[in-house]
Amino acid sequence: MQSEEDTGLKAVILAAGEGMRLRPFTYSRPKPMLPIGNRPILEYIVDALVSNDIKDIIMVVGYKKEKIMSYFQDGARFDARISYAFQEKQIGTAHALIAAKHFLDDNFVVLAGDNLIDSRIVSDLLHNGRIPSILVTESDIPSKYGVVQLEGNKITSIVEKPEVMVGNIISTGVYLFNHEILNAIEIEMCAGALGITNAIQKMLGKQDIYAVKTDGKWIDVVYPWDIIKVNAMALSSEGQTISGVVEDNVMIKGPVVIGAGTRIRSGTYINGPVLIGEGCEIGPHVSIFPTTSIGNNVRIDPYTYVSNSVIMNNVCIGSHSHLSHTVIDEGVMIASSLSCVCGQAFAKIDDDFFKLDNIGAMIGEDTIIGSHVAIAPGTIVGAGCRISDGVRLSGNLENKCVVV
Amino acid sequence: MCGIVGYTGPREAIEILLDALKRLEYRGYDSAGLAVLENDIQIAKDRGEISQLEKSVPKLRGTVGIGHTRWATCGKPSKENAHPFLDCSGNFALVHNGIIENHRELRRELEAEGHLFTSETDTEVLVHLIEKYYDGNIEKAVRESLKRVKGTYAIAVIEKGSREIIAARKENPLVVGLGVGENFVASDVTALLNYTNKVIYVMDGEYAVISPIGVRLYDSSGNVISRTPSLVTWTIEDAQRGGFEHYMLKEIFEQPASIHNSLLGTLDGIEEGELLQNVNFDSVKIIGCGSSYHAAMVGKYIIESLAHIPVTLELSSEYRYSHGTRESPLVILISQSGETADTLAAAREARKRGCRTLAITNVVGSTITREVDEVFYTKAGPEIGVAATKSYITQLIALYLVGMRIGYVQRTLSHELLRSMKDQLRIMPRQVNAVLDNKEIVEEASDLLVNARNVFFIGRNINYPTMLEGALKLKEISYIHAEGYAAGELKHGPLALLDENTPVVASCIRDHTYEKMMSNISEVAARDSPVLAIGYEGDRDLMAIVDRFIGIPKVNPLFSPVPLTVVLQLLAYYTARKRGCPIDKPRNLAKSVTVE
Repeated sequence: MQSEEDTGLKAVILAAGEGMRLRPFTYSRPKPMLPIGNRPILEYIVDALVSNDIKDIIMVVGYKKEKIMSYFQDGARFDARISYAFQEKQIGTAHALIAAKHFLDDNFVVLAGDNLIDSRIVSDLLHNGRIPSILVTESDIPSKYGVVQLEGNKITSIVEKPEVMVGNIISTGVYLFNHEILNAIEIEMCAGALGITNAIQKMLGKQDIYAVKTDGKWIDVVYPWDIIKVNAMALSSEGQTISGVVEDNVMIKGPVVIGAGTRIRSGTYINGPVLIGEGCEIGPHVSIFPTTSIGNNVRIDPYTYVSNSVIMNNVCIGSHSHLSHTVIDEGVMIASSLSCVCGQAFAKIDDDFFKLDNIGAMIGEDTIIGSHVAIAPGTIVGAGCRISDGVRLSGNLENKCVVV
Repeated sequence: MCGIVGYTGPREAIEILLDALKRLEYRGYDSAGLAVLENDIQIAKDRGEISQLEKSVPKLRGTVGIGHTRWATCGKPSKENAHPFLDCSGNFALVHNGIIENHRELRRELEAEGHLFTSETDTEVLVHLIEKYYDGNIEKAVRESLKRVKGTYAIAVIEKGSREIIAARKENPLVVGLGVGENFVASDVTALLNYTNKVIYVMDGEYAVISPIGVRLYDSSGNVISRTPSLVTWTIEDAQRGGFEHYMLKEIFEQPASIHNSLLGTLDGIEEGELLQNVNFDSVKIIGCGSSYHAAMVGKYIIESLAHIPVTLELSSEYRYSHGTRESPLVILISQSGETADTLAAAREARKRGCRTLAITNVVGSTITREVDEVFYTKAGPEIGVAATKSYITQLIALYLVGMRIGYVQRTLSHELLRSMKDQLRIMPRQVNAVLDNKEIVEEASDLLVNARNVFFIGRNINYPTMLEGALKLKEISYIHAEGYAAGELKHGPLALLDENTPVVASCIRDHTYEKMMSNISEVAARDSPVLAIGYEGDRDLMAIVDRFIGIPKVNPLFSPVPLTVVLQLLAYYTARKRGCPIDKPRNLAKSVTVE
């Protein structure tokens, strides 16, 4: 049942990866399922495709694939037709793309499942129409990406994660390909080039590959604290949608969305942009400031302050807590009086050090925190930790730590 | 239990009928057939699943038709006993879901009048009755025929030379789907969602006349009824497999979302009293069949521990024939489909005995919802796999909420305690998630069961019924003989059956029965039985005495049945998969049992 405006073009979304630098938030979910504005990143990509009338979508899944499959199912809820291809070992993007080969004929779009994009990205690529082409954009940290060098609109070289500065134009990992390029990629794969960029680099001498520039929204979430920044960008800056029950004497200012079945108790102050999901119990006397997302089935007790934070589903936060620039993953239980004040901090991920100006705490899923715990700015608490009453935390805590 | 469908409109009927029948396969799949009307009524039938019929069916042309998927109750599964049935003249074709109790006497009467029967079924009398009463008006003939029968039915009839379908119901589900220039009828909305989401539910004793341009609804005496169509809000994709190998696995993985949905808006209602507004009873009786009965057993522990009032249990099929006693409990009836015949009968019996009734069901507008005083809807979404998974888990959630509500009103649960119980429910999707994340461990542990002929499941306290459910899951999908026991009962008999070839699955969480469970496990191990234990993660004492260990998160013991059940579901699933069983459609079983 193809609709009339359907382009017939297919899209492959590479969503098999784990996103290790985002740990602990990828402990039980693949990076594409990270919620931004209470929706997984992957949903933004599906929406961008569907709004450009690309409705046949193949998702290449691997790490925690069930999370993706149960959410998207056959795609009808998103007005798309979604099929799944499996990449059991995540050894490279070219390898992932080949996993979807048997779904593909003719021309198709390839996208990375862990970059938040808008529909402009897809339309820019389609309107250019040259095949094969790569969507490129400018980046402040090109060393994390495939950097391209251009001659006119043709690509002359592409270098993955260059150690010396060669330019600031990077590949977004969004491609328009035809079926022939799959054969070329397969040949390069046999020669050991398992990433799409490696394969393209090797093909460059043999055929023309075009670059398409875009001003569309393309945001990569690389580190845990990026979640706060990207969430702020994703929340709508206008309008109020209030469902659920809002008791008397609640102040709601600015763009605020409150989901069905949520109860906001008296004396609560909400200053948007703020997004609150379904089935939450907030208040009495809770203050929520911009820019904050709160998931579904969250309970926040009296006299708690939340600002510029992301609180995911099924979280319980006790009274008198202070959360600023903080990310709390699903199922975290906080007894009372947790302090996550924001401030300047140094964080370490893998072997990289980061100086961060405004950061609170990053708390992994299902962690249980006692009362009167103070968490220093920039602290990363792993998944499933148990933190006793009155503890002060700083640095990086492994998953399933017990702190007494 | 069977499924029926019908179509009338401009399109070729055969494709629509086959597609709709496939979506009804959960109602039975031992044989199937369809009738399509062009100039004559043409019939195609076959044994086996719909896909078998799809292969063998000739290219029948025609834009009016009816179809049937069967689960044998009267007459063995065979091509002859498959529906539809024709009368002697070949002017009428009929499909039927239900049981005609007085079919033997009717058949003798009709045979004496010269009617020729081609099958062993009860259904065939219906079509011959219609032939008998036909005097040019099919509606009247159907009405007269139905007056003669005792039993239950949902039927669809077509007549040579007419583009109308006549459909009628008594105690079996029937729904009419409204299209544009075409209309449909089926046992269940699922069959129609590909074509329309606008439906009219036919009620007991009513019949509908369906033509391509309209639908007329009548009561049993032929008076016109008007009813506004309902819009179905869930769509067909809710019922598709989306990348998962089996519906069962998909449904197991949907459980965090199902729990989540069942909790939305209900946690808030515990103090406000949307559920059980008045608590004017001093005991509770819970009734169900199969997995729903196991949920009821868990419910007994939940309600007794939260609300401190006595809870009794009954199997639906036993309660309805039991003697009434002087008690006047709140009667809770549990049925996923809301169509389970025995549970419906139990609901009527409970009302007759003057009890207040509460139904816990997954299907909005199902028959049971009209038979009881109050309804709690579990929001598990459609469940296709025959083995109950997410429907069972959400039934437990419903029972926690009921227990918390009664406890709150009875003041056995303080505000503070209630709040911590609510928190336990809020994080329940996470506990299930934690189990699902360890699916590989369960998959590996299932090696212990794959080659067994008998498996025992033991537990104590609230997890005794959980282990019964685990045994049921294993036997229904892997065909391994499995029995659940209260661990304390082992030495009263079953211990005699244990040897090195009989694995034992034991639940052993750290509650007040932990020490006793540990000694039961030692007893079992001493008989050389391989032991697979499920306990709180990191329980080294337990790991030390068993062959395999699966950990669940350290939840409050009262809530441990939820993650524990998910482990047992996965265990049954992986065991059955390694044995190559047809997991979504085990032999001899149908999804909802609408026969008694």
